[in-house]
Amino acid sequence: MTLRQPENPATKDGGAPSGVRGWWNRNQRLLIPYIFIAPNVVVFAVFMFLPILLAFYISLNEWTLIGFPTFVGLSNYLDMLEDSEFWRAFYNTGVYTVGTVPTSIALGLAVAVGLNRKLPGRTLLRSIFFVPVIISLVAVALIAAWIFNDNYGIINAALSAVGIGDVPWLSSARWAMTSLIIATLWIRLGFNMVIYLAALQSIPTELYDAARVDGASGWRRFRHITWPLLGPTTFLLVIINIIYSLHVFDLIYVMTGGGPGFSTTVLVQYIYQMAFTEGQMGYASAIGVVLYLLLLIITVFQWRVTRQSENV
Amino acid sequence: MSEGRGTSRLWTRREFLATSAGVGAGLVLLGGCGGGAGGGAGSGSGQLTFQTWASTSGEQKGFRGLVQRFEKENPDASIKLEIVPGEQQYTKLDTRLAAGEGPDLARMQYQAIGRYSSQGALVDLSEYLDGDEASAFTPAFWQAVQYEDTPYALPHHTDTFAVFYNTGMFDKLGIEVPKSLDQSWTWDEFIQVAEQIKGEGVAKYPFAMNWQTAGAAYRWMSFLHQHGGQLLNNDLSGPMIDDSAGIETIAWNQSWFQNDLVPPSTSIKSTELIESLFANETIAMMLQGDWLIPYLVDSMKADWGVTYMIQDVEMASDMGGNAVGVTRDSENPELAAEFVKFIASEEQMAQFCVDAQFIPVRKSLVKQGLDYSMRPKEMTVFVEQSETVPETMAAEQTIPKFNEINQVLADELELAFKEGQSPEKTAKNIASETKEILG
Amino acid sequence: MATVRSVLPGRGEKEPRGRLKGANLFVWLVLVVGALVVAFPLYWMFATAVRPKKEIFGGGLDLVPSTFVWSNFADAWNKLPWDQFYINSIAIAAIAVPVTVFINLLAGYTFAKYTFPGRDILFLLMISTLMIPIQVIMVPEFLIVAKLGWVNTWWGVLVPRAAEAFGLFMVRQFMVSIPDELIEAARLDGAGEFTIFRRVVLPLSWPVIAVLSIFTFMWRWNDFAWPLVVLQEQSAYTVPLGLNLMKGQYFTDWTGLMSMSLLSIIPMMLVFIFFQRYFIQGIASTGLK
Repeated sequence: MTLRQPENPATKDGGAPSGVRGWWNRNQRLLIPYIFIAPNVVVFAVFMFLPILLAFYISLNEWTLIGFPTFVGLSNYLDMLEDSEFWRAFYNTGVYTVGTVPTSIALGLAVAVGLNRKLPGRTLLRSIFFVPVIISLVAVALIAAWIFNDNYGIINAALSAVGIGDVPWLSSARWAMTSLIIATLWIRLGFNMVIYLAALQSIPTELYDAARVDGASGWRRFRHITWPLLGPTTFLLVIINIIYSLHVFDLIYVMTGGGPGFSTTVLVQYIYQMAFTEGQMGYASAIGVVLYLLLLIITVFQWRVTRQSENV
Repeated sequence: MSEGRGTSRLWTRREFLATSAGVGAGLVLLGGCGGGAGGGAGSGSGQLTFQTWASTSGEQKGFRGLVQRFEKENPDASIKLEIVPGEQQYTKLDTRLAAGEGPDLARMQYQAIGRYSSQGALVDLSEYLDGDEASAFTPAFWQAVQYEDTPYALPHHTDTFAVFYNTGMFDKLGIEVPKSLDQSWTWDEFIQVAEQIKGEGVAKYPFAMNWQTAGAAYRWMSFLHQHGGQLLNNDLSGPMIDDSAGIETIAWNQSWFQNDLVPPSTSIKSTELIESLFANETIAMMLQGDWLIPYLVDSMKADWGVTYMIQDVEMASDMGGNAVGVTRDSENPELAAEFVKFIASEEQMAQFCVDAQFIPVRKSLVKQGLDYSMRPKEMTVFVEQSETVPETMAAEQTIPKFNEINQVLADELELAFKEGQSPEKTAKNIASETKEILG
Repeated sequence: MATVRSVLPGRGEKEPRGRLKGANLFVWLVLVVGALVVAFPLYWMFATAVRPKKEIFGGGLDLVPSTFVWSNFADAWNKLPWDQFYINSIAIAAIAVPVTVFINLLAGYTFAKYTFPGRDILFLLMISTLMIPIQVIMVPEFLIVAKLGWVNTWWGVLVPRAAEAFGLFMVRQFMVSIPDELIEAARLDGAGEFTIFRRVVLPLSWPVIAVLSIFTFMWRWNDFAWPLVVLQEQSAYTVPLGLNLMKGQYFTDWTGLMSMSLLSIIPMMLVFIFFQRYFIQGIASTGLK
C-alpha cells in the first residue's frame, strides 16, 4: 500500500494556500505519523529500550549489584543450558501458562458475552467480576493463601463438613499448582472480561439483526460474527495473558514460596532469587533476556498469523 | 451521541487542559523531596538517611524514639527514617547501592553482614570506635559483625528461639515444663512429649518449627549445633556437615514429618504461618522466636507459656536480630558512625529493646535484665536463651557467601522433608555445593 | 465533513429489556452463581477486617463474625499516614491517566491506520518492552532515573510508566476495526490529519478510552515494585507501599491489611463505575451511506 499524496484542499478557500500552511497541508500526511508517535517513542526509548539494552549488557557480566561487574561474555547463557533448576522452573512456568491462559480467556469471553446482554443487575455483576482485578496483589495473594490453607482454610473446612477429607492444597506437589491456577483465574477473569466487553461494543448490531433475519441461531451468530470480529482483541489477550503467566511471581511466592520442593518454583522467582539472594544479577538478567526473546518470538509468530485477518 | 462535532472539540480542549495541568503539577513537584545524604562538616551536624524495616507495633516507636533522642543531643543533626516493608529491605538496598544512591545507614540481619562487608558496601568502623566494644557485647554478636577481624557494623539487638506451649493442653495432659535452662528438654524428652500429645489427640499436630520461608533455612543450624555438629570446619574453608552429626540431625528432623509430628505444610519452602496454627490450637507447641509475642497477645484466645529451647549434647539457639552499619555511599560517615554508636550504647539499647520487645546484646544488660512491658516472665527465658548462641555458628552464618549456602540448605532440606530424600544424600549434596561455593 | 451516522446504541446482542426466559434465564443463573463464587473471597476479606483479632484463624466454617469490630478500620488508619498515601496515589494516578490515554490514543491510532517505513518493527519493539520481567529491568531503569536526578520524586514514578505498552497495544487493536473508508472520506473532504483524529476517530473510540482510563488508573494505583525503588521517604509513599508495610517482617497485621485493602478499592471502583457506562452506550456506525 503506497502513500497517496494528499490533494490540494481546493474546496476550502478557493485558492491553494501558500507558505508554511500550504507546505503543511501538503505534507502533513507524511509527517503526522511521526509526530503522533513521538511522545510514546521518546519515553519508550529512554525508559524501556535503554534499560533493556543495559540488561542485555549486564547479562554478559557477573555482578552482585553491591560489588563491581566482571565481564564473562556468554558464559551465563551456557550455564543456563546445564542448570537443572532453570529447566525445572521453565517447565513449571510452562505448565502454569498452559493452565491459565486458554481458561482465563475462555471464561472472560463467556462472561463478557453473557454480561453484554441486558440482564438485571448487569452493572453489579460486572463489578463483582472486576473487583479481584483491582485489589492490591498483596491482599489477594494472602487471602488466596488463606482460603487454600490446609489447616484452617475455608475450602477444607467446607470439604470436611460434607464428609470429604482435607486436601493438601498448598503442601503437596500434586495440588499446589492447581491451587495457584484457580487463584489466578479468579484474578484474571475480570480483566479479560472488561476488554472483551469493550470490544463487543464496536460490533455493529445490524450484523446481528441481519443474521437473525436470516434465521441464524445464537451459537452460529457467535461463531460467524462475534468470534471473527473479536480477532484482534483475542490476539491482544492471548499475548498479554501469556506475558503475565510467564512473568508470574508475587502470587506464587506468597501462596507457596515456590514449594513444596521445587514444584511451584517459576522462572521469575528463580530470577529474583539469583538477582537478590545469590548475588548473580548477570545470570538473572540472562534468564530475563531469554524470557524476553521467547515472548518476542511467540508474539511475532502470532502476529504473522493474525495479520492477514486484520488487513492492515 | 448524535453529532460528533461539539463533543470531540470539548474533549480535546479538556484533555489539553488536563495534560498541561498535569505537566505543571509535575514541574512543581520536581522541586520536591530530595533525599540523599547531606554533607556536614564535622561530626554532630548534617543530615542522615537510615533505611530500615519496622513493624507498626513497637519497632517504629523504638526507632523514632532513638532518632528523637539523638537529635536532641545533636541539635545540628537530623536523621530521616526510611521505612520499607521487611521483605524488600535488601532488594531496595542493593538496587540503591548499585546506582550509588545508598542510604547513610542500613539495618541488616547478622547473616547478611558478611555479604555487604566483603564487597566493600559497608564502612569499616574501627576508626570511630573506642576499642572497648569487644568486651562489652555478647561474644557471638560481636563476632557476627566482624569481617577479617574488622567491625563493619555494631550489634543492635537479638531475638532467639524457645518452646512455646499451650498451657491448657499441657495441664490437661499433666506435662511439666523445665524450670531452668540446664533442665531444658533433651531431644528424646521433647519427642516423648510430642508423642504423648499425639497419642492423646489434644491437638491436630504436636508442634511445628518456624523455618519458613527459604530465607530462614539457616535456623535449622541450631539443631545441628545442638547435636554437636558443624556446618563448616573450624577455619571456615570447607564443609563439615556430611559427618555423622550432620546426617543424624537431618534424619531426626526428617522423622518429624515422617511420623506426623508436624503439619505437612510446615516445611521450609512453605508460607505457612505456624503462629496462626498455634493461635488456633492446631498445634500444641511451637519452636518460635520472641518477636511473635505481640502477635500472640493480640490474637490468641487460649493461654500460653514459654519454656527453654531444647538441647542435645549442647545447647544452641537461633541467632536472630540485627545490626546497623554505615554504607559506602554515605557522605558523612563520621556522623553516621556517631549514630550507630549512639543506638548501640547501653542506655539506648535498653530503651529500644523495651519499646520493641527485643533482647539486648550487651553483657551488662543481659545480666541486669530489662523491664519489659509485655510478658516479662517469658522474656526472661529468651534473654537467658540468647546466651546459648554458639560462637562457631555465629562465625559460620556470617561468612561472605552465606546467603548462597543458605539457599542450598533450603533446597536440600526441603527435599529431605517433603520428598523423602535420604539424610546421607542430603548431607552430601549440601557439602558438595558448599565446597563449590567456597571455591 | 464526513458524516458518521450513528445508529441506536448497539451493545452487540440486543435483547428486549429484562425478559428472563429460557436460555436467558439459564445464562443469568450461571452468571449469578459465578459472581457468588468470585465474590466469596471478597466477603472473606471483609469478614477478616471486622472480626475480633482473636477470632481470625478460627478455622472451621464460621462464616459470620461473632461481633463486628468496626474500630479495626480506625485502628489501622491511625497506624500509618494513610491520608498522605492516598493523596500521593490519587495524584499520581490522576496525572497519569490523561497523559497516558492521550499519547497512547494518538500512537495506537497511528500504528493502526498509517503506513510508514519501519512501522511494524517499531510497534513490535514497543510491545516487546512488556516482555522483560520487571525484576531484571528494575536495576537498569533505576540507574537511569538516578542519573536524571529523579530519585524520590513523582517524576521518577510517573514518566517511566507514561507510555504504557499494553495501552498502546490495546488501542491499536481497537483502532484496526475502524473502517478505513471513514478516514479516507474525511481526507477527500480536505480535513487535516489531526482534525480527522478528533472528529472521526475519537467519537468512535469511547469504549477503548474508557477501558484505557480504567486500566491506567488501576495500574498506576496498584504499582508497587517501581515506586518502592524510586521513593525513599514514607511521606511520599503510595497506598500499595502502605499495604505492604502492614505485612511485617515478623508477622502480618491481618485485620489492618484487609481493612486497608478494602478501603483502597473504593477510588478504583468509583473510576470503574463511572467509565463502565461507556460499555453500555457504545457507539456503532453503519459506515457511509
